[in-house]
Amino acid sequence: MSEIDEKKLENLAKLGRIELNESEKLKLLKDLPEILNHFQELQKIDTTNVEPMSGGVSQENIFPEDGESARLSLSADRQEASGVKLTDAFPEKENDFLKIPPVFE
Amino acid sequence: MNNLTIKKFHEGLLKKEFSAVEIAESFFDFIKTKDPEIKAYLSLGKDEALSQAKKVDAALAKGQDLGILAGVPLAVKDNILIEGQPATAASKILENYQAAYDATVIKRLKSAGAVFLGKTNMDEFAMGSSTENSAFQITRNPADLERVPGGSSGGSAAAVAAGMAIAALGSDTGGSIRQPASFCGVVGLKPTYGAVSRYGLIAMASSLDQIGPIAKTVEDAAILLEVIKGKDSLDSTSVDLNKFQNSNLKIHNSKKLTIGLPEEYFIEGLEQKTAKAINETIKDLEKLGFKFKKISLPHTKYALSCYYIIMPAEASANLARYDGIRYARREETADAKNLKEIYFSQRSGGFGKEVKRRIILGTFVLSSGYYDSYYLKAQKVRALIKEDFNKAFEEVDVILTPVAPTQAFKIGEKTENPLMMYLSDIFTIPVNLAGLPAISIPTEKLQAPGVPLSPRLRRAGKHQNELPIGFQLIGKHFQESDILEIGQMYEKMTNNQ
Repeated sequence: MSEIDEKKLENLAKLGRIELNESEKLKLLKDLPEILNHFQELQKIDTTNVEPMSGGVSQENIFPEDGESARLSLSADRQEASGVKLTDAFPEKENDFLKIPPVFE
Repeated sequence: MNNLTIKKFHEGLLKKEFSAVEIAESFFDFIKTKDPEIKAYLSLGKDEALSQAKKVDAALAKGQDLGILAGVPLAVKDNILIEGQPATAASKILENYQAAYDATVIKRLKSAGAVFLGKTNMDEFAMGSSTENSAFQITRNPADLERVPGGSSGGSAAAVAAGMAIAALGSDTGGSIRQPASFCGVVGLKPTYGAVSRYGLIAMASSLDQIGPIAKTVEDAAILLEVIKGKDSLDSTSVDLNKFQNSNLKIHNSKKLTIGLPEEYFIEGLEQKTAKAINETIKDLEKLGFKFKKISLPHTKYALSCYYIIMPAEASANLARYDGIRYARREETADAKNLKEIYFSQRSGGFGKEVKRRIILGTFVLSSGYYDSYYLKAQKVRALIKEDFNKAFEEVDVILTPVAPTQAFKIGEKTENPLMMYLSDIFTIPVNLAGLPAISIPTEKLQAPGVPLSPRLRRAGKHQNELPIGFQLIGKHFQESDILEIGQMYEKMTNNQ
């Protein structure tokens, strides 16, 4: 299997926002072809006219009613009461605003 | 305390044999002495647990009616959010994260009065079959400390098996509740996809993940399911189980059910001991009056490939959110100078090797030029696997299989070969792909240390320290009641002999 070589692996890592060290690269270059090779068995199956299944049991559209608060448990009142806030996890903030480095430099 | 089930606890509490606080405290004492060798817990929530237990005792003193879960000490897998407590998913990337809200299952259990002892160890982001992929510690199988408890809900299964919780919650994407339950000798239920809300579960593969109970008895698993199941407006894939359930089924009716035995599950790779234990279970169920029928699920052998394409694809997308911005930052990332450096530093140092492997694999199967031959092909094969089950369920009501091809393996035995590790899930994965409910039940009751073997086990030539083996019952969509009832009948029979 030549589908994954070092250059391709580096590109996949970049897309996944991960940096791989040399030993991680070596291990992945050994494991991935083995795993992808195993996947080849799927090519033998005739899937003509088979609709792809994206998951779940019932495949129907779901619409919440207008006005329904989709994230009830995060209401300001409740956070006030519990003392725990989503914004507590922000690494840097000003008041309750998330602070990040510039996106465009 | 070791033998307490939810039901026994509830009866004892009502009869005032003990208080909820006493039991909670004795569990924390026992965890303190036992967990250093098992390492099932990542964190404990003692203050919250005791204050919840006090509330239950106060309610009882006032003569208020208590639900069956009031005061019951539970363990919770560390990928399920409890407000104000850590939720690391056993990953360094979430080491400093504290949950800001309750998962829906936790909210429901809290209103039922349950007590949460702590959060349990797991494979990082639920990626693994042995709990060895945790960034923090290796959990040991209470039946043999040299062996893995299975995974990814290994901490929850080990905690229940060792008597460090009455029952627990786990999550199951490809077998992560059922396989550790089988390895540790406890009961594990994966509900129908959608039966239980996933809101507040740290997502791995959203089309496969389900939360479910791990317990000492089938009855306890059924009690927990009753509380956590149901439609939730915060998870659009959740459904109202009662709407679909064929609820008129009574225990005496379940004897009329036919159980299917798929030939593809009784294969060469199946360990001798496991095959023997499953055959004995079939004989026991025949004695109870069940009829068996050989069936075929022809696409079974492709399920592993199908799963290991779909799951990493979904996981690579779900894990994109851990960017060092939203869920607390690692100390090592503090020096990063710009946004790009934050992302790379947080993720490269925060994710373990299996997580990285799956992100790369998922990114690959979704990438242009490979999408059709991998991801799309796998989705089509998934439809065929589901169709296999649909056809089989025209002939039978329930399907019986082994849970895993082997008993618990040795720590370190499979860590270097990912494909070998993946193969330990071959009998559980098809169920997730098809969205079906399934339960793992021990083929023989796990004996607490010091408790003599039952006459039945002695007659069968069993020894005190044998490794547990589970069997799997797979039901039709939303027919949890079928597998739970057969399981309870089996349990009653094996307990009384």
